[in-house]
Amino acid sequence: MIEATGLTKRYGPTTAVDHMSFTVQPGRVTGFLGPNGAGKSTTMRMIVGLDRPTHGTVTVNGHRYAEHRAPLHEVGALLDAKAVHTGRSARNHLRAMAATHGISTKRVDEVIEMTGLGSVADKRVGGFSLGMGQRLGIASAMLGDPQTLILDEPVNGLDPEGVLWVRNLTKYLAGQGRTVFLSSHLMSEMALTADHIIVVGRGRVLADAPVADVVAGAQGSSVRVRSPQAGRLEELLRRAGAGVTTTEPGLLEVTGSSAEQIGDTAAAAGLPLHELTPVSSSLEDAYLQLTADEVEYHSSTLDPTLSGADAPTTESALR
Amino acid sequence: MTATTLSIPARTTRPAGRVTFPRAVLAEWIKFRTVRSTVWTLVATVVVMVGISVLAAWGTTTNAVDAGSGSMNIAQLLSAGYQLAQLAVAVLGVLTVTGEYSTGMIRSTLAAVPRRTPVLAAKALVLAVVVLVVSVVSMGLSYLATMPWHDQLHATFDLTDPVTVRMTVGLPLYLMAISLFAFAVGALLRHSAGALTAVIALLLVVENVLMLIPLRFVELMSPFLPSTAGRRVLFDAETLSATDAMTNGAHLTPWEGYGVLLAWVLVLVTTAGWLLRRRDA
Repeated sequence: MIEATGLTKRYGPTTAVDHMSFTVQPGRVTGFLGPNGAGKSTTMRMIVGLDRPTHGTVTVNGHRYAEHRAPLHEVGALLDAKAVHTGRSARNHLRAMAATHGISTKRVDEVIEMTGLGSVADKRVGGFSLGMGQRLGIASAMLGDPQTLILDEPVNGLDPEGVLWVRNLTKYLAGQGRTVFLSSHLMSEMALTADHIIVVGRGRVLADAPVADVVAGAQGSSVRVRSPQAGRLEELLRRAGAGVTTTEPGLLEVTGSSAEQIGDTAAAAGLPLHELTPVSSSLEDAYLQLTADEVEYHSSTLDPTLSGADAPTTESALR
Repeated sequence: MTATTLSIPARTTRPAGRVTFPRAVLAEWIKFRTVRSTVWTLVATVVVMVGISVLAAWGTTTNAVDAGSGSMNIAQLLSAGYQLAQLAVAVLGVLTVTGEYSTGMIRSTLAAVPRRTPVLAAKALVLAVVVLVVSVVSMGLSYLATMPWHDQLHATFDLTDPVTVRMTVGLPLYLMAISLFAFAVGALLRHSAGALTAVIALLLVVENVLMLIPLRFVELMSPFLPSTAGRRVLFDAETLSATDAMTNGAHLTPWEGYGVLLAWVLVLVTTAGWLLRRRDA
C-alpha cells in the first residue's frame, strides 16, 4: 500500500507536485495518468526516496522508503529504463543490485529468464534497445520479489508482444495481492490494464476512482439521433432540458438524456427515428475532459477542449 | 513465466535479506570490477609506475654524472612514477562515482540502499583497498624490473632505515589518499568532465604554480594544499630540504604533510556524504 499525504515538490518557482494525497491499494492495478509535466515521475521518485518532498509525506507499507531495512523486498521500481551503467552487462548489473540485499545469483538468473533477457544478459547495457532496457528495468524491479511495484511508463519502447507481457504480468501480480502502481500516457493501455486510476494534471489529483466510474462520470456520454424531422425533435428535447448539438442535417448529438427518454419523446410526438445510438465516453474522453485545463504544454494546432468534447474518431478507435 | 513469484503473500517466511554494510561493499566491488574503464585505468597505473621506474633506473646509469658520489635508495626509484600514477588513480577515483551519475545508475544504487551514506563509504573502501593493492603490486614489479641496474647504481633497499620505510609505505598511502580526494570531488560535482578537470588542474597546475607566487598569503597557504602536503611522505631527506629551501611557508614534516592530505579527504568525503543525503538523485 502506498499512501501520499499532502505531497508537494517545488523546483524553485515551479511546483511539480502540488499537495497530492492518494492511496494505492494492494490487490489491484492502479494507473497513474496525466499529461506530460503533470508530476507523475516526480511523485514516483519521491515514493522511492530519490527526490525529497518539499512538504508532505509518502509511505510504502506504513514506512517512508528510506526506513525500510530491505527496500528491494518491499518495493520494486522501474523509474527510468536507463538507470543502469552502460558499460556493465545486464547480469552483472543485476548481481550488484542483488548483492546489496544478499539475494542469490539463482534469483538473478530467474528474473533474467522471466523477462526474456537470457540471450543478451551478458552483453553490455549500452547496446540495448529501449525495449530491452525496459525489460532489464522490470527485471531489477522484480529482483527482490517485492510486495509493491512501481512502474513508470513500463510499456514505453516495448513491442506488441512485450506490451501484452507487461499487461499480463501486472494483472497477475495484482491478482496475488500485490500493490501495482503504473504510470502511462497511453490511455488505451490504461483502460486495458488498470482497475483503478488516479488522474493528475499540473501536480494535482483530478480524479481517483475505478476506471468504470471515471468513464461514467465524464460529461461526454451522449446519444446520437438521426431523424428526418430533426429540427422538431431538437425543439422537444431542448424543452425537456437536454443539450443538443447538430453536426450535419438530420443528425443530433444529445447529452443529458438517455436513449429511452429520447425514443419515448419521439414516439409521443409521432416523429420517425432512423438511428438512436448511445455513445458512451471512453477513458480517453474522460481523461481529456479532466485534464483539458491542466495540460502544461498545449498543442497549438489542436484545441484540447474541442477534442475533449467530441472526439468520435479516437473514441471509436479505442473500443 | 512467473512461477517463481507464486508464493508471495505469506511474506513473513522471507529470509531476512537486509541491507548491511558488508553487502553494500560486495555490491560496490562487483560494480567496480565489471566495468572496463576501471580495469584499464588500473592496468595503466601499473604500466606507468613500472615503466617510469625502469626509465629512471636506466636513465640514471646512462647519464650518470654523479653516479659515483654515493648509493641510490631503491625506494626513490620505486616512487619515480608517482606524478603520473597519481593522475591515473585520480581518474579512477572520479569515475568510480561520476560514472554512476552520467549513466543514471546512481538512481538504481540509491533505490537499493536508500540510506545513501553506506554507498559512499562502501565505494570509498573498495577504491582505497584496490589502489593500495595495485600500488604495492606495482612497487614489487618495479623492484623486479629495475634489478638489472641495481648493482650499477649501488642501489640499496635498507628497511631498517626509517626514511626508506616511510618512503616505501608512503607511496601506496599517498596514491590511496589522492584517489579518495578525487573520489570526493567527483561525489561533490557529480560530473565526470568537471570533476576530472578540477582534480587534474589542481594536482598538475594550480599547486605547482602557487608554489612559485611570492605573495605572503599564497606562501602561507601553499604548503597545506593536498598534493603539496601529502607528497612529502614520498621524499627523501635531500628532496625535502631542497623543497623547503625554495619555499617560505610552513615546513611540514612528511607525516604532518600526509595528515594534511588526509584531513582534506576527510572534510571533502564528509561534505559529499552530507550533500548526498540532502540532494535529489
